[in-house]
Amino acid sequence: MTRMMTIVLMSAGFAAVVTASSNIDLSTIPPRDGVQLTIYNSEDLTLVRETRTVTFKKGMNPLQFSWANTLIDPSSVELRFKTNADQLEVLDTTFPHDKPQMLYWNVRSELDGDAQVEVTYFTSGISWAADYVCTSDPQEERMRFEGFVRITNQSGEDYENAQVRMVVGTINLVEKVRELAQRGLIGEEDRLEYERGRRPVSKMVDEVRRDLSMELKAGMAVAESAAAPKEIVKQGLSEYFLFTVEGTETIRNTWSKRMRLFQGLQVPFRIQYRFRPQEYGPQMVRMFLLRNDRESDLGTTPLPDGIVRLYRDNGRDGLSMLVQQCIRYVPIGQEIELNLGVDPEVIHEWVKLASRRDNFWFRRHDVEVYYSPQQGHQVEIRDTVAGWDEHQSWVERIRNYRNKPVNVEIRRQFAGDVLFRSDLAPTLYDYQSPQFASTIEPGQKRDLAYDLTFRQGRNQKQNRVTLEER
Amino acid sequence: MSKSIAWIVTVGILMALVPAASAGIKLITLPPRERVEIQLDNPQVTLVEEERVVPLTQGVNDVVFAWANTSIDRESIQLRCLSDPENVKVLSVSYPPGENALTWQVASPKAGSARIRISYLIGRLDKSYAYQATASPDEKQLTLWQYVQLHNQSNEEFGTSGMWAGFGEHLERPIGINETKKLLSARFTDVPVQKVYLADLAAHGYLDEGKRQLRVPMSYRLKNDSAHGLGAFPLMFGKARIFQDDGKGMSAFLGEDWARFTPRDDELDLFLGVAKDIVVKRTIDRREQKRVLGNLYDYDVIVKYEIENFKDQSVVLDLAESLPALRTEIGVNSGRDVEWELGDQGTLTKSQMDVEKTTVDRVLFHVELSPRGPDDQAVKTTHTLHVRIRNEW
Repeated sequence: MTRMMTIVLMSAGFAAVVTASSNIDLSTIPPRDGVQLTIYNSEDLTLVRETRTVTFKKGMNPLQFSWANTLIDPSSVELRFKTNADQLEVLDTTFPHDKPQMLYWNVRSELDGDAQVEVTYFTSGISWAADYVCTSDPQEERMRFEGFVRITNQSGEDYENAQVRMVVGTINLVEKVRELAQRGLIGEEDRLEYERGRRPVSKMVDEVRRDLSMELKAGMAVAESAAAPKEIVKQGLSEYFLFTVEGTETIRNTWSKRMRLFQGLQVPFRIQYRFRPQEYGPQMVRMFLLRNDRESDLGTTPLPDGIVRLYRDNGRDGLSMLVQQCIRYVPIGQEIELNLGVDPEVIHEWVKLASRRDNFWFRRHDVEVYYSPQQGHQVEIRDTVAGWDEHQSWVERIRNYRNKPVNVEIRRQFAGDVLFRSDLAPTLYDYQSPQFASTIEPGQKRDLAYDLTFRQGRNQKQNRVTLEER
Repeated sequence: MSKSIAWIVTVGILMALVPAASAGIKLITLPPRERVEIQLDNPQVTLVEEERVVPLTQGVNDVVFAWANTSIDRESIQLRCLSDPENVKVLSVSYPPGENALTWQVASPKAGSARIRISYLIGRLDKSYAYQATASPDEKQLTLWQYVQLHNQSNEEFGTSGMWAGFGEHLERPIGINETKKLLSARFTDVPVQKVYLADLAAHGYLDEGKRQLRVPMSYRLKNDSAHGLGAFPLMFGKARIFQDDGKGMSAFLGEDWARFTPRDDELDLFLGVAKDIVVKRTIDRREQKRVLGNLYDYDVIVKYEIENFKDQSVVLDLAESLPALRTEIGVNSGRDVEWELGDQGTLTKSQMDVEKTTVDRVLFHVELSPRGPDDQAVKTTHTLHVRIRNEW
């Protein structure tokens, strides 16, 4: 169901007698001169700003605006005069109780002629999403990084030749536009308040609307180019980022359209193998790491949430699919992490070499007194173990069957009072997570060794890992 | 179920997928596939790349790609121009409602043919691996065939297509709807094989618990390295069927097993069956609890293995013992790591231990067993393992 939205200029006197209108009316339907869509991706929300030319006569001019079978929030519909504003005034807005998805404006005019009006409203059902296609070179040193946006229109209305703008960022809404559109102007609670005359319903989402209206300035009218992909202009806007599609686009109801947002042709990246069970599960994964900055041929825009599809030129006139994964919003300057999963050519094993216990403390059977044979104390037959140190020796065994050196980074988490001893120059990621890095040459098998001492029972004085050179 | 599912058309500007009222007489072309590559190297998804030559007019062309009854991931579909990538540009992509189709708006600076490549991820077109091996009559070596099995349930027919599994040969074959194609991807000859008999209670249990007789599985062991005729790439998971050349031009089926993923330099054990001619009876001969201090104890344990080889060949038996399982068996189960050391009162000593494969939780020995004698009597060999389990409470 498309093209359900109309604005009608009716004969004078009609608005005043809406409910008891006569059977014969004269009305004119001014077409849209232009329309601008500002689509938010964090909420099901689009701000529509459409302009029409209406011919007014002096005196009262009733205007009817209706939006059958669409998802417009009725509380958000506003009329503004772009020309002759000093001669035109909206006296009132009426939402007829028996006609949903319709309103009337009574406009008092001192003008006898054309004026350009602007109707703004929120609609749901139009969304956009980003996706990315990355293609690495065969050497896995640089990649082509392309970003796309895809707009989907399920709003019930065709938008022809619309200027399209997309907002990246998370806005706050107190009510969902779709719910407002579906339940009509007045919710039950509001209706009660309205009937008591305590709260003007038309102010229901005024604050949100005002905030957004402030953001919307005059659109950029760029001539449509037929032979080149449209540029998408990017600009910062408060906490948000605004993408404006060059020229205009027709977004038909129930259709989707995908356009290129940006591309970096020579984006350098580095490869790191990571073992971080809390982030990537209990396996060593291969990561492609790049940065969203200008030095990396990117950085023209933050990267909105979206799916990344990563391919590699396989050197045989074709591509190999490496991974597809979702990325979260990446600000300009931040690193982009692409997780390729386990690499069958880099083998990682965690091998325990030894385990032993010492530094025992015993509790006297009938009193809260502790004895240690290491301290020369006498231990009695009925004393029980109350504290000890558990020593473990481990290696992270890594085999590299690739023809290049690989950089590995290992981060493990240990609970309790733990001493971590190694010559791997470890650092602490947090109080219980030591981490260290190494490079494994092609064809090399390397054991990255360390010892752990877990202080148990009454020997445990802390709950944290300490590092010590071995 | 229809055939020929994915198709592509080019139509004049603004003529494709527009409301019916605007469609007048139009000429559409249906360019066939010129080349198809099926990339099977990703373990999760299959990538199809197909090349077609499309006629383009000067200006903006609508190129329509449509499919039906096949599970193409529409989000993954890409078009690249191969013949003039600098000048032939994709302007945008439109997705009509309720249809498995999309339209690329492609700008071309001049009229003429363009070679394009369309790539997409497709479901239900996947692969598995299978192995077949034929051992020599003396079971010292074998020939190993690795197959890629392509299962096409995608409801799309592909003519002669290139296929690559990530390693091995690049193959070219047609594959039809609902076909499974088994393709030889690698063949290895004269691969040394080791017959392994393993006695490991924790791993394989008893054959006869009343008699404490262990189940002794027999496996073929292959090493995936160049010294053993392999090692070109990791061996992927798949079913392996093992035959033996009977020396008379025939072969006998020995058994089958799942070959696990085997990185290079790792060993692959293929379990073929239980060796009932090797009898291993295992008992615990000693369990002595010794107080260290307070309630802290050490345990002195001797495990005895009585072994008979009823084969007419000598064999090497692997004797393995899990220390956590042994500790549980003697009635101690603290849940802590087992702190243990080999004692000196057993016949199995540290010098006989396989240091490479012994871990903190499992000890492994190799024991040579003589064949049965001329009187068909097997020689009973007794081995003992002396273990001291320490610091338990």
